[in-house]
Amino acid sequence: MQLSGSQQAGKQKAGGRANLQSLGRALNYLTKYPRLTAGATVALIIATAAQLVVPQLLQRIIDTIVTSATHQGILNLPANIQAIAAQKLGLDLVAAQAELDAAPRALITAALIIVLFAVARGLFAFGQNFMSQALSESIAFDLRNDIFTKIQRLSFSYHDRNRTGQLMIRATDDVERLRVFIGQGLLMALQALILLVGTLAILTWTNIRLTLVVLPVLPLALGIFMLFGIIAQPLFVEVQKRLGRVNTTLQENLAGLKVVKAFTAEEREEKRFHENIDSYLDQRIKVSRVFSFLFPFIFLIANLGQGAVLYFGGRQIIDGTLTLGEWQKFSLYLVYVFIPMGQLGFIISLMAQAGASADRIFEILDAKNDVENKPGAIDLGEIDGRVEFKDVSFRYFPGGEAVLSHIAFTAEPGQTVALLGATGSGKSTIINLIPRFYDVSEGQVLIDSHDVRDVTLESLRQHIGIVLQETVLFSGSIRDNIAFGRPDASDDEIIAAAKAAAAHDFISGFPQGYDTPVGERGATLSGGQKQRVAIARALLMDPHILILDDSTSSVDLNTEYEIQKALDQLMKGRTSFVIAQRISTVLNADLILVLDKGSIVARGKHEELMEASPIYAEIYHSQLAEDIAPASAQPDLN
Amino acid sequence: MMDRQSQFLGMETSKARSVRGTLVRLWHYFQRYGLILLLVGVLVISSTYMQVLIPDLTGQAVDCYLGPYSMAAAAGGGAALGSFADNAEQANAFSNCWYTTPDITATAGETLAGFGRLILLIVGLYVGSAVLSGFMFYMMSWAGYHVLRDLQAQVFNHIHQLSLGFFTKHEAGDVMSRFTNDSDTLQQVIGFGLVSVLQGILLIGWIIVVMFQRNAPFALISLVTLPLMVIITRWFSEQARKAFRRARQQIGNVNADLQESISAVREVQAFSREEENIQNFRESNAANRDANIRAQAYTGALGPALEGLSYVSLAVVAGIGGLLMLRGGGLMGETISVGLIITFIGYTQQFNRPVQQISTLWATIQSAIAGAERIFGLLDEPVEIKDKPNAIVMPPITGHVVYQDVFAEYNPDEPILRGISIDAKPGQSVAIVGPTGAGKTTIINLLPRFWDVESGSITIDGIDVRDVTQQSLRRQIGIVLQDSFLFSDTVMNNIRYGRPDATDEEVIAAAQLAHADDFINRLQDGYQTVLGERGAGLSQGQRQLLSIARVALIDPRILILDEATSSVDTRTEREIQKALEELLQGRTSFVIAHRLSTIRTADQVLVLKDGQIIEQGTHRSLLEKRGFYFDLYMSQFRRKSTEEDLPDDLNELELMEPGD
Repeated sequence: MQLSGSQQAGKQKAGGRANLQSLGRALNYLTKYPRLTAGATVALIIATAAQLVVPQLLQRIIDTIVTSATHQGILNLPANIQAIAAQKLGLDLVAAQAELDAAPRALITAALIIVLFAVARGLFAFGQNFMSQALSESIAFDLRNDIFTKIQRLSFSYHDRNRTGQLMIRATDDVERLRVFIGQGLLMALQALILLVGTLAILTWTNIRLTLVVLPVLPLALGIFMLFGIIAQPLFVEVQKRLGRVNTTLQENLAGLKVVKAFTAEEREEKRFHENIDSYLDQRIKVSRVFSFLFPFIFLIANLGQGAVLYFGGRQIIDGTLTLGEWQKFSLYLVYVFIPMGQLGFIISLMAQAGASADRIFEILDAKNDVENKPGAIDLGEIDGRVEFKDVSFRYFPGGEAVLSHIAFTAEPGQTVALLGATGSGKSTIINLIPRFYDVSEGQVLIDSHDVRDVTLESLRQHIGIVLQETVLFSGSIRDNIAFGRPDASDDEIIAAAKAAAAHDFISGFPQGYDTPVGERGATLSGGQKQRVAIARALLMDPHILILDDSTSSVDLNTEYEIQKALDQLMKGRTSFVIAQRISTVLNADLILVLDKGSIVARGKHEELMEASPIYAEIYHSQLAEDIAPASAQPDLN
Repeated sequence: MMDRQSQFLGMETSKARSVRGTLVRLWHYFQRYGLILLLVGVLVISSTYMQVLIPDLTGQAVDCYLGPYSMAAAAGGGAALGSFADNAEQANAFSNCWYTTPDITATAGETLAGFGRLILLIVGLYVGSAVLSGFMFYMMSWAGYHVLRDLQAQVFNHIHQLSLGFFTKHEAGDVMSRFTNDSDTLQQVIGFGLVSVLQGILLIGWIIVVMFQRNAPFALISLVTLPLMVIITRWFSEQARKAFRRARQQIGNVNADLQESISAVREVQAFSREEENIQNFRESNAANRDANIRAQAYTGALGPALEGLSYVSLAVVAGIGGLLMLRGGGLMGETISVGLIITFIGYTQQFNRPVQQISTLWATIQSAIAGAERIFGLLDEPVEIKDKPNAIVMPPITGHVVYQDVFAEYNPDEPILRGISIDAKPGQSVAIVGPTGAGKTTIINLLPRFWDVESGSITIDGIDVRDVTQQSLRRQIGIVLQDSFLFSDTVMNNIRYGRPDATDEEVIAAAQLAHADDFINRLQDGYQTVLGERGAGLSQGQRQLLSIARVALIDPRILILDEATSSVDTRTEREIQKALEELLQGRTSFVIAHRLSTIRTADQVLVLKDGQIIEQGTHRSLLEKRGFYFDLYMSQFRRKSTEEDLPDDLNELELMEPGD
C-alpha cells in the first residue's frame, strides 16, 4: 500500500507530459459536440462581460448621487454665497440645475440597467453552466461506452492481468474526474482568464496609479496559494492512508468478529483500533491546523488589497484626482481579481487529476487485444466436432515460461476427453485454447480441420458450450440467465433445457418460477442450483463441443447426484473436454490425458493407464480417490 | 463554488426521527470539551462583530473624511472648500459621520492623517478577524474531531460486545457503512460546517439589526431580496436533491452493469454476448447521462440566480437610496447619506455568502443529525451476552462437555435448536452432520457463548458456561472456522493471534504441527510475509492450515471445528487432514463434518435435522441403523463411486444390500 502510493506519486511526476497529452486527446471529444462547445463558450463570454459591467454601472449611480448632492448643496445656498461658491468651483448654475433635475431619471435608468445586466448575467451563466454540464456528461457518456466496449472485447490475458475493481475505477472515477474538469475546470479557467484580464484592463483604465498599488498583491497571493497546495498535498495523502488503516481494522473486526471473540482478542483489537483512530485524529488535526487558517488567510489577502485601495484611493480623493464612485468601483472590481486567483489552485488540481485519469483511460482504450478476428476470418459453419491439437505450445507472454509444450491429441466427434493433473499442470489452459480465450504460441488448434484462428470468434464460440468451475449468474430472471447465450430462445426451449439440467423442479418451486430474479439484486441460489442453471445455459446452446470444469464445489449430497446426472445428460453425443474430479467421469472417458508441467505424460483409457502408467495410478489413488479415501481409511478405525 | 454546491446537494440526505433527542445526546459528547466550545463561542461573536464593523467603518471613511473632498472634486476643483463644506453639511449628504467630529477647518494633511488612522484600524480589524476565524475553525474542528473519535471508539467497543444474534439480523456491510458514511457526514458538519452556519446566522442577524439601527426604513428596502433568496435557494435545493436521487439510481445501474460485465467477462465472451451487453450498457449509460444533466441544471441555476439577485439588491440600495437622498428629507424622517448608501452596499454584499453557505449546508446538517441518530441506534443495540455480575474465572478444564435439553433461537418463537442433549467425555470427538439449516453451527456457537441457550444448559466439567467469564471460557476453547479469516498482518502475528506472548519458536512449532511450516517457508518473506486483506495472496487451503496453526498454538482442551466446504487442491487437502488428525488428538472436539474421514474417526456422530438430533452413534452403528444418515451417506457414495471402488467397503455394502 505504502509502496504503491509512492510509486504512483513518482509515476505521476514522470508522466506529467504524457498526462497532458492524454488530456489533450480527451479534449478532442469536444469536437464531437461543436454546438454545445461553441454555445457554452459564447454564453460564458457574455456572462462574464455582464459581470464586469455591473461595478461600472454602480459607479455611475454613486457618481450621480455625489454630483447631485454637491449641486444640491450649492443650489440650496443663499443666492449671494451661491454665486461666489459657483464661481470658485467654476460651476455653471443653470447646467448644474439641469443636471440635478435629470439626476433621478439617470439614477433610475442606471439601476434598471443593473437589473437588466443581472438578468442577462443570470441567464447566460445558467446557459453556460447547463451547456458545459451537458457537454461534459456527453463526453463522459462516450468515454464510458468506449471503455465498456473495449473491456468486453479484450481477451482473457488482459483480464488476467487487471482486476475488476481497477477497471471499474477507470470507467467510473477516472471518467468522472475527467468530466469534472471538462464541465467545470475548463470553463472556469477561461472565465478566470477573461475576468482577470478584463478587470485589470478596467482598473488600469480607471486609475493606473491605484492599479499599480494593488498589482504587487497578486503574485504574493499566487505564491501563497501554491505554497498551501504544496504543504497540503502530502498531508492529505497521509490522512487517506491513516483512514485506510482505520477502515481495515474495522472491516476485519466486523468480518472476523468470531475469530476476535474466539481468541479473546477484544482488548487488543480495541487497543489497535484506538491507536488507529488516534493517529488518524492527529493527522486530521494537523490538516485542520493548516486549513483553518487558509481560508481566513485568503480572505485577508483580498481584504488587504481592499485596505490598500481604501487608503490610496482615499488619498487620491482628497487630492481630487479620484471620484468617490470610481473609488467604490475599484473596490468592487478588486473582488473580481481575487476570484480567479482563488480558482487557480482549484483549476490546477482539477487539471492534474484529470490528466492522470485521462492517461489511465487511454491506457485501456489503447490496450492491444491479443485475440481478435483475423481480417477475412470466415464463418465456421456447421461442424461435426472433431478437435485436434497439433503440437501446441503456449506461454502467457513471449519469452515466458511455457505453460503447455508440444501438446498433440485428437478428439473424434462425440468423444469425451478427461484431463488430469495437479494444479498448474495446464489442464485449464488446454480447454481455454479451444474457444480461443487465448491463442496458441506455437502449433495449431483445429476444429473439423479449420484452424480456430481462421474463423470468426462468434461462429466458433457458438458451437462451444462451457460450464466453468465458478458459476456466475447475471442479474435478471432465471429465464434470462438460461437464455444468456441465445436471447431469442422460446420458453419451451428454455424449460426443456432446464429439465435436462435437473433444474426445472427447483425453479418451478419458486413463487415467481422462471421469472425469479437472480444475481446481485435477486434471490440467492444455492451453489448447486446455480450450477444447474449454468448447465441449462450451456445445454440451450446445443453445442457440438462441450467444456466442463468439473471441480467439486460442495453442495449437499443429493444435489451432487442430481448435478452428476445432468452433466451425463449434457455430455451425451457431444465432443466433451472435462477437467475431471469425479471418478465416474474418468472411467467413462474415451481418452484420458495426464498432464504434468504442461506436457502430456500419459494417455489412454482407464484400464490401460492403470496398468501402463504409474503416475496415473498414483493420481488415481491420491486425487480422484479422495472419495474412496474413507474406504481405505477403514482399517485404521478398527 | 459550484463544485461544492453540487457536492452537497448531491449527497444522500435523510431526516432524523428525533432531532432533539439526537442533538441532546450529541451535546453530551461535546460537554467534555465545554471550555473549548466556550472559547469558540467568544471567537464567533467577536469575529462576527468585526465583520459587521468593517463596512460601517468604510462608510465612516466616506462620510467623515472623503465626502467633503469628493464633493469638491465632483464639482471640478479642490479649492474653496471651507465655506462649501460648511454648507454641504446642511444638505445631509454626508451627515452620518459618528466616527469623528468633522472638522471643517482641518487641512488636507490633517484630514489625511485622520483618514490614514481609520484605514489602519480597518486593516487591523481585517487581520484580527482573519486570525480569530482561523482559531475558531481550528478549535471547533479540534473539538469536533475529538468528539468523533470518542464516538468511533465507543462504537467499535460496542461492536465487540454485540452477539452473533445481532449479526444474523444485520449485515456486517451495513454496520461498516453506518460507521464510515455516517461518521463522515457528521465530521463534515461537526467541524467546519457548524461554525460556518453559526457564524452565518449570527452575521445575517447582526447585519440586519445594524441596518435597522442605522435606518430602519432603508434597511427594509435593502432587504427586499432576502426572502426571495431564501425561497429560491430552498426550491432549487429541493429540486436538485430530487434530481440527484434519481441520478444516483441511474449511476447505480451503470455501476452494476459494469461490475457484472467486467467480473464475468469470461462468461460474456464464452457465450458471445458482447453486442447485447454493449447495447444494454449504452442504454443505462444514456439514462444516467440524462438524469445527471437534469440534476446539474438545477444546481447550476442556483448560483446564477442568487448572484443575479445580489446585483438586483445592489441596484435597489444604490438606486432607491440615491433617489431618496436627492429628494432630500430622507426616508420617513430618517436621513440618507452617501456614506450610508456605501455602508449598505457593503452589507448587502456581505449577505450573499452566508445565505448560500447556509442553504447548501442545511441539507448536510440534516443528514448529519440523521447519521448521528443511526450511530446512536447502533450504540443502543442491547448487549445480549454479558458476564454475570458474580461470574467466576473458569478453572483449568479437562473437557467434559454436557448439553442438557438445549433450546436456542435467534428470533423469538423461531427455535433453531429444540432439545439437544450431548455428553462428550474428555478427549472424545463429536461429529455433527446434517443438511444446511439444521442447526449445526448454532450448536457449536453455544459452547464458547457466542450465543446463549434459551432453555436447558451447557456445562463444562460441571460448570455452566454462563457462570464463568467469557474470557476465561474462550481461552480454553480453540475454534477453527469454516471461513479461515486472517488479518492483514504477518504470518507470524496471524498464528500468534490467540497468544500474543508466544515466542517465535512456539509459533513455528505450532505451524509445524499444522503442516503449515512448509509452505510458509516457501513464501517470499517466510514468517514475516505480510498478508493482504483477509489473507489475500494465500490459497484457500493455505489459509486453512494457518488457522489450524493458530489454534494449535493456544493448545486448547476443547476444540471446535467447522470444516471448510470449498475445494482445495489435493495435496493441501491431505496436509489439512493430517494436521486436523494431529490437532484433534486428545482434545474434546466438536466438528461440523464435511469430510467422511472425520466422521468415520469420530467417537460420536450426531445427525441433526430441523434443530433436533434424529440419530446418534458411530459411523458404523448409524449405517447399520439404515436411517437418515444411511440415506445421506448413500447418496454421496453412489455419486462418488462405481462398482470398482467398492471392494474396500464391501463389508459395509453387504450390510446395506437388501435396502438398496
